Amino acid sequence: MRRTGNADDPLWYKDAIIYELPVKSFCDGNEDGVGDFQGLHEKLDYLQNLGVTCLWLLPFFPSPLKDDGYDIADYVNVHPSYGTLDDFKKFLQAAHERGLQVVIELVLNHTSDQHPWFQRARSAPPGSPERDYYVWSDTDQLYQQARIIFVDAERSNWTWDPVAQAYYWHRFFQHQPDLNYDNPAVVREMLAVLDFWLDLGVDGFRIDAVPYLVERDNTSCENLPETHAIMKAIRAHIDARAPGRMLLAEANQLPADVRAYFGDGDQCHMAYHFPVMPRIFMALHLEDRQPITDVMEQTPPIPDSCQWALFLRNHDELTLEMVTDDERDYMYLAYSMDPQARLNLGIRRRLAPLVGNSRPRIELLVGLLFSFPGTPIIYYGDEIGMGDNLYLGDRNGVRTPMQWTGDRNAGFSRADPARLYSPVVMDPVYGYPAVNVEAQESDAASLLYWMRNMIRLRKLFKVFGRGTMEFLSPANRKVLAYLRRYREGVILCVANLSRTVQPAELDLSAFAGLTPVEMLGYTEFPTIGTLPYFLTLGPYGFYWFELERSGS
Amino acid sequence: MASTGSNSSVQGADVPASRADIVVALTSHNDVRTIGAVARALRDGLARYFASSAVRFVLADAGSTDGTREAAREAVGPSALMEVEYERGAEELGKLPYHGHPGRAAALRAILQTAQGLGAGACAVIDAGLHTVEPAWIERLIVPVLTDKFDYVSPYYVRHANEGAITKSIVYPMFRALYGVRLRQPAASEFGCSGRLVAHYLEQDFWDVEQAAAGIDLWLAVAAACGEFRTCEAVLGARVAATRGTPVDLSTILAQVVGALFTDLEHRVDVWQRVRGSAAIPIFGTVPGIGPEAPPLNVDGLMESFRLGYRELREIWTWVLPPRTIVELRKLTETVPNRFRFDDRLWASIMYDFVLGYSLRVMPRDHLLRSLTPLYAGWLASFVLQMGSATLAQIEERVEQVCLGFESEKRYLISRWRWPERLR
Repeated sequence: MRRTGNADDPLWYKDAIIYELPVKSFCDGNEDGVGDFQGLHEKLDYLQNLGVTCLWLLPFFPSPLKDDGYDIADYVNVHPSYGTLDDFKKFLQAAHERGLQVVIELVLNHTSDQHPWFQRARSAPPGSPERDYYVWSDTDQLYQQARIIFVDAERSNWTWDPVAQAYYWHRFFQHQPDLNYDNPAVVREMLAVLDFWLDLGVDGFRIDAVPYLVERDNTSCENLPETHAIMKAIRAHIDARAPGRMLLAEANQLPADVRAYFGDGDQCHMAYHFPVMPRIFMALHLEDRQPITDVMEQTPPIPDSCQWALFLRNHDELTLEMVTDDERDYMYLAYSMDPQARLNLGIRRRLAPLVGNSRPRIELLVGLLFSFPGTPIIYYGDEIGMGDNLYLGDRNGVRTPMQWTGDRNAGFSRADPARLYSPVVMDPVYGYPAVNVEAQESDAASLLYWMRNMIRLRKLFKVFGRGTMEFLSPANRKVLAYLRRYREGVILCVANLSRTVQPAELDLSAFAGLTPVEMLGYTEFPTIGTLPYFLTLGPYGFYWFELERSGS
Repeated sequence: MASTGSNSSVQGADVPASRADIVVALTSHNDVRTIGAVARALRDGLARYFASSAVRFVLADAGSTDGTREAAREAVGPSALMEVEYERGAEELGKLPYHGHPGRAAALRAILQTAQGLGAGACAVIDAGLHTVEPAWIERLIVPVLTDKFDYVSPYYVRHANEGAITKSIVYPMFRALYGVRLRQPAASEFGCSGRLVAHYLEQDFWDVEQAAAGIDLWLAVAAACGEFRTCEAVLGARVAATRGTPVDLSTILAQVVGALFTDLEHRVDVWQRVRGSAAIPIFGTVPGIGPEAPPLNVDGLMESFRLGYRELREIWTWVLPPRTIVELRKLTETVPNRFRFDDRLWASIMYDFVLGYSLRVMPRDHLLRSLTPLYAGWLASFVLQMGSATLAQIEERVEQVCLGFESEKRYLISRWRWPERLR
């Protein structure tokens, strides 16, 4: 095969465009109201045509589903609602045949309280190997410096278990007890889980909640050296057994702390850049580039083999954990006047509603996402501008069924609407009659077409995934301008963060004699001279230019 | 892949049997009528030009049943011939590529692997089904590699206006515009290459691609053009091939050749979107005059095919061709024969629009490619009407203009590729 799922290039993730989807929300193949692998398999052509190169599947393992599958009860099987292991294998093969890589979740930190390991542990005598799979204490006063993450739902990281007659540790919901990584047997178990999926051919793992693996008293219990040692061991295991597979760390931390999860290129291949995302939205609302330039300048360099994962929206709330209190207040006022939209320390909205369903703003944000240094992640449905449902609990409002058509159940399922795992979005602006794939397929001016073209264009230039970035400093702060360089190539990106036309004078004297060629239309602009280069940008306009030798 | 037969040198150089300076490879499929003469011509050429070199003959035969292998052994001596076996693929047996050589990609791969295994500094590949091979071909294909350090030697064949017309109209102009190398016959079955290029070829990932059987020769030329390799042409005179089995119809040939070109360019976007203009390459040998007898061609039939295609396929074309092109085509259908001219830039833009439609899969790819046939017929009619009694130089000049049309319209292809606009 010319291109296989397991790409020959070990750095394939640097050029990837990742599409995040919950299997349950994408397509229901067996008409039971819940999305499944059969349905996802049927939609692979859609994903291939969209142009994404990698699928990131949210947890699909057997689970009580109290945290949408992040409470796993069996790591090496498929939840019956989503199909069988055989269905997964068929899907994986079909994805690889289409050149799509597949990344799955690896929830290392905790299990469901229904997992056999926990059921066994709570009944096992204290100090026994079975008991030691989890973190127990006779008191709930240990690790008091560890913050509570789900502040809206939990009051403590300890919960009393009447069966064990002890407290157990959990950084998330109380039904998600943390595994004890001080126990080598737990590490061995998890490596066996990795091997199971590696042998099936998955291309990578998204490591959930990675900073919290190990606990120590008088610390925040986050980012501890022992946690990094675990990650190194996992990476070494993967490199030895299945080179070329990728680890993506979910570490909602400041860039300097996240940096540690790359190690010396010997821990995770990728990690999310959490802080940049809210600041992109902030810059857009402020019409000022400073939040973006500040956070990017605070971002430390990472090893050559590593990569940032960038996103605008995902399955969780728009997290505001990594911003200052003032910034958080601003974001709440700017983007969630409706208190229903707030959850924990974040805003539970999709991309389109966040920006008032403004197509120019969506396009600008995607333009930034695609041109910043890293691998972009697109959340399912955002390519058609899907909306959300604030009246569904927790983060379920952004996990509604994919809107395929204007037909019953948005074409997601042929089941009785009452059987759907979640109601489809039906409001007049974002509801499935107005926003769906079928309609946008037949409209060459639709957001879906625009996204396809952008993805296609972005894939043409390795500089976006692999190049360096440096900001220019035009006097007009409503304009964000930066250079991306990779090998001989130089790309100039210019974006207008404001709702009105803006001028920009760029100091491009270092490139005098080169000609900017606008990349979307392949249009030559005037050759750069020694004077400031003048551009006019329309509202929320952005341009990408290749700087080429004149007449070359 | 396995090798059988002796590794002994054709000529008397005293080197280990596991080594060779030069590999001369034949690809064959039921070529008993020609392979003996071909092999003898090559053997004579080796004796004349490379008497002191260690040479191996390699035969990659696609399961001939007419005694081709035996004829080859008889011609070069059974002990001098290495016969390589390779998988031809069951599906290909029922779907013969236009050149009549099933499993050609696997054959070439086996040859190149053998050449690499022997440590050959130069390798020449020749189709055993030719009537026109001469001893001088050996010199032309090998000397540029061994003496002048070229990596890829492409044949320059002398052809009438209506010979090799798919190459003249599509493959050469598009290859040249995309990759910047003025290589006139990039899909030829014959070529010479260096050991360095052999290694590069074997690292390519196209060998097992579905269209490889028909497209491999072109893809090898593209791989050479896209890498840091020195490329040249060698004048080989005329190329007359024996017919293998039932001739393949024009529509299928177009679909196979153009499909191979389009498929490959999708994987080399990062190269061709950065290439500007094109460069001439050295040519070895003197270009002779063209023979007086051009094969007959029914120009009226071609024009009628074009007009019929416009009536019947216009609806399909509107999926890939913009309205202004459709209007231009309509005007052409109404043009009298003595003024019937296919504008070069119009032709180039049509081909580029088809490239884009193919890439975007606006319809089943085979349907799209076959719908090209009447357009090609129209172009060929126009070309022959202009070039009917032209000299080779005049034909070359005209093809040059076609190529310049493709080069000047390349900007159109890039802009449309980067931001495709759906027409339907």
